[in-house]
Amino acid sequence: MSQVSPVAEKITALQQADSAQDLLRATQELAASADASAAPVLVEVLGFNNPGAAVAAVEGLISLGTAAVDALLQLDPENYGARAWAVRALAGIGDVRGLELLLDALGSDVAASVRRAAAKGLGQMQLAELPPDQQQVVQRQCLGALLAATSDGEWVVRYAVAVGLELLAAGLPPHLPEWQQARAGLVTLLAAAADNAPVVQRRAHLALLRLEQQ
Amino acid sequence: MVDADASPPQAGEPISEQEALRRLRQSEDSSQQYYGAWWLGRMRSQHPEAVPLLQQALRQRRPRDSGDGVEENAVARNAARALGKLAPAAQTAIPDLLDTLQDADDGLREAAARALGQLAASEAIEALCEKLASGPAGAGAQQANSPRLVEPCEALLEALGDIGVNEPRVLAVVKPFLEHERPLIRSAAARTLLQLSGEARWGELLVDLLDHPQLQVRRAALMDLGAAGWRPGFQAIAATLAENSLKLMALRGLVEQGNGDPGDEALLACMDALL
Repeated sequence: MSQVSPVAEKITALQQADSAQDLLRATQELAASADASAAPVLVEVLGFNNPGAAVAAVEGLISLGTAAVDALLQLDPENYGARAWAVRALAGIGDVRGLELLLDALGSDVAASVRRAAAKGLGQMQLAELPPDQQQVVQRQCLGALLAATSDGEWVVRYAVAVGLELLAAGLPPHLPEWQQARAGLVTLLAAAADNAPVVQRRAHLALLRLEQQ
Repeated sequence: MVDADASPPQAGEPISEQEALRRLRQSEDSSQQYYGAWWLGRMRSQHPEAVPLLQQALRQRRPRDSGDGVEENAVARNAARALGKLAPAAQTAIPDLLDTLQDADDGLREAAARALGQLAASEAIEALCEKLASGPAGAGAQQANSPRLVEPCEALLEALGDIGVNEPRVLAVVKPFLEHERPLIRSAAARTLLQLSGEARWGELLVDLLDHPQLQVRRAALMDLGAAGWRPGFQAIAATLAENSLKLMALRGLVEQGNGDPGDEALLACMDALL
């Protein structure tokens, strides 16, 4: 006699949801369960073409943190819609296993919403558990991708790059050349070019102010 | 609100400004003209020939022929849209746009109204008010054989807000549309009143629409709050059930168009959380 766990019940409820509203509610409940066994099911929800449920699933996956990464990386690369949501989840989690996907997304994804999520994610990779030399390798990769994206054609991506550069630099000692390069990237975004949005300039300005106070 | 088909007709090879001008100048292939007009607006062309060529394309419009498969006015519509994006160079095209506001094609009237708003053409206030004067039951009534309204009310209302002249006659024409049966029109009217008067009650009305059961209405209210730059609405914007992309656009509007409390830092923190 095995007792059905509360999570298993919630998974069943989700699998049986037969309306968009039901699916949203069931996803929210499962996302709130904070149980690693929910991860593969939440990843499945990313492919259901239900934005409300996908937002809830991404939040649930981010709160699961590293426990959700394996499930996210097993996602079918052909399922474009689901992949876009997965980039957001991996960006929020910051696990280094998601690095390749985020680098790839910022550099080449066609959707600005995916590039913007990747840009923020590359600024907040969780590197504390890596050996110092590897930390530096990852930081350089993130920095290179962010600097390249300072010329992205979409304002919202450049905005996210400003956020990513600030987050990245805030984790570095200012004497490192990487800190200086991140700062230089922010100065690029500060430029009042005709095609640069004022909101991007203001965000870069704020980032620079905060870094000066570091 | 979002311009219905402001995207290129097809994904083509990137072209140069000279090529865009050439395509608009020729007259054999209207789809090439359509693309050329779109390109000049999208790229904010500063070329001295851009505005005159767009004016010429705008005059190319013709009466609608429902039997005709090809949409002849598509080029003129794109020309109007492009002129709206070419302020201040396109000021010289205001008389053409005012003429176009009287065209029989309501899609073209809509594009002209939006362009006049973007050019902040105070010369247009009288004509815009005149078009709207018959109120929700006249200008705002549904056409007999189409879901469209008699006048493109949303564009006309928003143009008055973008022009931004706060006069009693303008307010008197806009206010009745707060009672229109369509929430998108109510949203446009509230946005315009908010832009003109800055009164919080109109902002609150838009915030109420962020809870509307239809996604389309919530999206419109987001864009309207952004266009008016109404900063007190920032948390309601962040909590709306809609795409983050649209919330970010709305918040950008609050940062760039608005002032006062909350300050930039709180707004930018709100945007950061939506990336």
